[in-house]
Amino acid sequence: MHEASHAAWLLTAALLASIVGMAWLALAMPAHGQQVWGAPVSPAHARALRVLGAVALAVSLALCLASDHASMAALVWVMSLAGGAFATAMALAWRARWLALLAPWIGAADTAATR
Amino acid sequence: MAAQGMVTQSFRQAMAWLHTWFGLVLGFVLMAAFFFGALSVFDREIDRWAIPSTRFEPQPMPSYEQILRPAFERMQPTQQAIDAMRPRVDGPMPDHFDTVANWSAYTTHRDPVLALFAGFQVPGAKDPDEAIFALGTIDPRDGTALPDDRLKIGSGFFYPMHYSLTLDWKNLGFWIVGFSALVMLAALVSGVVMHRKFFRELFTFRPGKGGLRSVLDLHNLTGVVALPFHFFFAFTGLVIFSATYFFPVGHTQLHDLHDLHAATEANELGLPHQRAGVPAGLANVDAMVAEAQRRWAARDMAGDVGFLVLQHVGDANGYVSVYRAGTDRIALVGQGIHFKASTGELIREDPVATPVGKVAEFLTGLHLQHFRHWLLRWLYVLGGLLGAVCIATGFVFFVEKRKRQHAKQGSQGARIVDALAVTMITGMVAATLGILVANRLLPDDLPARGDWERYAFWGTWVLALLHAGLRSAPVARGLANPAWREQCGAIVVLAIAAVALNWITTGDHLLRTLGTGYWPVAGLDLALLATAAVAGATGLHLRRRAAATAAVEHPRREAAHA
Repeated sequence: MHEASHAAWLLTAALLASIVGMAWLALAMPAHGQQVWGAPVSPAHARALRVLGAVALAVSLALCLASDHASMAALVWVMSLAGGAFATAMALAWRARWLALLAPWIGAADTAATR
Repeated sequence: MAAQGMVTQSFRQAMAWLHTWFGLVLGFVLMAAFFFGALSVFDREIDRWAIPSTRFEPQPMPSYEQILRPAFERMQPTQQAIDAMRPRVDGPMPDHFDTVANWSAYTTHRDPVLALFAGFQVPGAKDPDEAIFALGTIDPRDGTALPDDRLKIGSGFFYPMHYSLTLDWKNLGFWIVGFSALVMLAALVSGVVMHRKFFRELFTFRPGKGGLRSVLDLHNLTGVVALPFHFFFAFTGLVIFSATYFFPVGHTQLHDLHDLHAATEANELGLPHQRAGVPAGLANVDAMVAEAQRRWAARDMAGDVGFLVLQHVGDANGYVSVYRAGTDRIALVGQGIHFKASTGELIREDPVATPVGKVAEFLTGLHLQHFRHWLLRWLYVLGGLLGAVCIATGFVFFVEKRKRQHAKQGSQGARIVDALAVTMITGMVAATLGILVANRLLPDDLPARGDWERYAFWGTWVLALLHAGLRSAPVARGLANPAWREQCGAIVVLAIAAVALNWITTGDHLLRTLGTGYWPVAGLDLALLATAAVAGATGLHLRRRAAATAAVEHPRREAAHA
């Protein structure tokens, strides 16, 4: 029983890491920066967001591996990437501004400079 | 440089042609395969919703001596099965079938009830290898026989719909779905070629853009984010049926060779292919199961029994095979352990598969998801629904792109495709809800109840087709078919009705099922309510858009009259 709830926490965290990772990768892209802040982020910020995104996806994989054996974990991770990408796309389509919360250190000033 | 550009251009055009036309023709089949595949992920849970007497917790394989033996001994083929067999037998059919070819029991970690199978030898059968079968369903807690004539809507209807469209005649359904899966692989490749800005537009969906753009966005998005899922499921689906699709010769052209191979293999494995004709007793099967579990535990894979088979029952050549329910891994492996039936001594322990065998086990298991992993199960539902949305938006894009053009030319082509798209998208959901509503409305003791449920499904679907066709006139003028929003309304009504009827007829309302943590029924009710919410929102959106279009059209027409 204890083990099952432990795995459930790990997998929830893995799913969240996939969503956040995909969102960071999206925010680094000019079109989506435009949607969230009204202008693309600066190249330095974009680079940082891409690194963060990649790290978050790696963390997600690690959490999957901590919860299940390798073949199961690989499958869960690949499917969680699909879920993360879809969730990010839906957030961008309907509530783009909310994604700014994932990168609070980027303000309007940071993007205005690139205009 | 220019020549190369031209080649790429014509290659891209060829891919676009392939993608459009094959997608259109076979998309209808793929849509059903994806949608009912997504439902099949929870087939056992749907069964429990549909047959309230099975609403209890999943059970492990019960004791053979206490529960299974009496249940097996009761089993005999139905009159229907006997009548169906009659033309393939020389001489009269017996009243009672005594020679048991095999008895087997199958369960999963999600099955509250236990499925039993019995095969009997038929004296005078034209093909001596042909057996006659009986099916049984029992409550594994006490062995009570449960009625088998109740339709298991999840595993007995939605699941076969997913791979064969329930078109059983000459296996036609299998072939249609298999061919469509093959074409789908081509559609995926051609789609990737067409959609050049693959990663740059990974997250792009612009619902505000309206018209073609947002439909195409959603088509690309749902296709791309779950691309590995789409690819692997089409591919592994073909792998699972490869014996049917690619190598059916074993059972047709090479029958004798096939039999010889089976006999040789049985000889090598020590598992007798035929009866000896010498009667023999049966040692304690529970002891064999315990020994099998001990052997699995020794190989560091403790686990429950998934499949238990008694071959050549009552004969000196009889043997008992115990297979593990591999709920802890993706690969579909049995790790079978076989015992001599009369003595209980070990005959054989299945070795670890060859590397090629392991790949096949992994691919099959990946698709059939017999494992215990609720998150992955839900992610599969998401993948299946994304596939269905991808195909649905493909249809809508096809129609929208041609509608105005056809309106100008006075052609009716777009009208037909649009009506078919309505039928396939909202109509299919309505038909699915129709069978659930019928399941709760039909009286419990109605003869051939399952057939009526099937009629409700196909009847709703046919109504959806007629409705979509009758309302399609505006499409010829380049406008939207009102059937889209009307069927969204029907979905809302049917989905809420199903939840309400479940409450009224069984007393299992959401507060109770959620309160007691009975997720199979609570989950289906919640999914039905979510369906109603999505369909309601879509219907309202379509109505607002139709009103806006009418407001623009109306003054224009007034002006033309004046």
